[in-house]
Amino acid sequence: MKDKSIGFRIADAALIILSVIPIAAAIALRILTNPAAEGIQIAGAHIFFTVKMPLQDMPITESQVNSWLVVIALFFFCLYMTHGISEKGGLRRQMIAEWIVEQTDSLVQKNMGQYFKAFSPFVGGIIALSVCSSLLTLFGLYPPTSDLNVIAGWAILVFVLITHYKLKGGLLCYLKGFTEPIPVFTPFNIISEFATPVSMSFRHYGNVLSGSVISALVAAGLTSVSSVVLGWLPGVIGNFPLFRVGIPAVLSLYFDIFSGCLQAFIFAMLTMLYVSGGFPVEEWQKRMKRKKDKKQKNIKSA
Amino acid sequence: MQSLEVISVNIWDILISLLNLLIIFLLFKRFLYKPVRKVLDKRKVAIDTQYSEAEDAKQSALKDKEIYEQKLKGAQDEADEMIKSAASAADKRSAKIIDDAKNKADGIIRQAHGEIELERKKAAEDIKHEIADVSTLLTEKMLEREINEKDHRDFIDSFIEGIGEDDGTSD
Repeated sequence: MKDKSIGFRIADAALIILSVIPIAAAIALRILTNPAAEGIQIAGAHIFFTVKMPLQDMPITESQVNSWLVVIALFFFCLYMTHGISEKGGLRRQMIAEWIVEQTDSLVQKNMGQYFKAFSPFVGGIIALSVCSSLLTLFGLYPPTSDLNVIAGWAILVFVLITHYKLKGGLLCYLKGFTEPIPVFTPFNIISEFATPVSMSFRHYGNVLSGSVISALVAAGLTSVSSVVLGWLPGVIGNFPLFRVGIPAVLSLYFDIFSGCLQAFIFAMLTMLYVSGGFPVEEWQKRMKRKKDKKQKNIKSA
Repeated sequence: MQSLEVISVNIWDILISLLNLLIIFLLFKRFLYKPVRKVLDKRKVAIDTQYSEAEDAKQSALKDKEIYEQKLKGAQDEADEMIKSAASAADKRSAKIIDDAKNKADGIIRQAHGEIELERKKAAEDIKHEIADVSTLLTEKMLEREINEKDHRDFIDSFIEGIGEDDGTSD
């Protein structure tokens, strides 16, 4: 499509700008609300304000705001990716969009099977949201994935899905699953059932948070090392933390980019495996057959 | 500004993030996967129809080819037939021409024979007359006497008749 119309180009530009604005807004918010701090500071997300709610007050924190901004940015990114695609192709973004769809489709197909075909947008959403949230650290923003509440929310949704698919085989089958292989195992099985979302959330959150903590510690350590080694030099050179230049970037490459992407992928993989693994295929098929038979009987009797 | 503890659990935050994931799932489904799938399906349909069209075209081409081959074969046979019939017609015609020519020649020969016969008869008649005249004249001169010409002629005629008959039998 070489003959793009002016309206098409304007819409394109608008979509790109709209998907960049949320990130820019997050950076602006960070700069405005977070004055430069002295020393090592390992704390959770900043609380902008607190809303009075039953049970527990609801703090609107940096992590919440950042995740909303990521959601908005991803929404406009999706609109941009699908803007002007046609069956004839030709746009580069269409190839990327098709690649994303086909990759997640094949990933879901391989790990979950044909029955869970509708899961690919969910898996794609998990990966995109997690990766983008983790990569916010590249802009110096607070990554929502290093907040336990955020990951716990995702893990609980995954837990609901797991339980939903386990219940497809019938309530009795679900309850019977806890007594296997022998009834003595029942308490352990119940614990392991609830350990699934806990382990999933702690794995992801812990990895991202530990990356931030280690980065902060290394940066602080390098500052003191450079002041010890180069402190005798006169003037500004002595106070300048020379070792902090470059070395933390290597750590950031691992903790922010590699670990962020890897954890997103692991979270998605575990989601797929738990959901498809919990689905009792044979029981479900038997149940469907029984239902079908019943229906036919009803039709016959009527 | 206040911060959360590093490890803190807040059910509302958990709920919000759960809803965030649901929202991003729905957004992805509606705005990325649905249009792309639609395009992919459309393309698949287009490719399928093109393939089936190509297959149809191939089939019809093969059928046409068969028909033309048959027609070609028929044309060959027809040509052979035509040559054969033409040859036989030519044969017949030539035979007829030869026959005609023979008949004509026979007719001409027969006519010639008839004419010859006629000529001969005429010549014989002429000679007869000539002889009669001559003998009349001769007898007049020889006898030197007046004689009835009519009697004389009858006499000679009967005489010559006798000669002619003799002549005719001997000839």
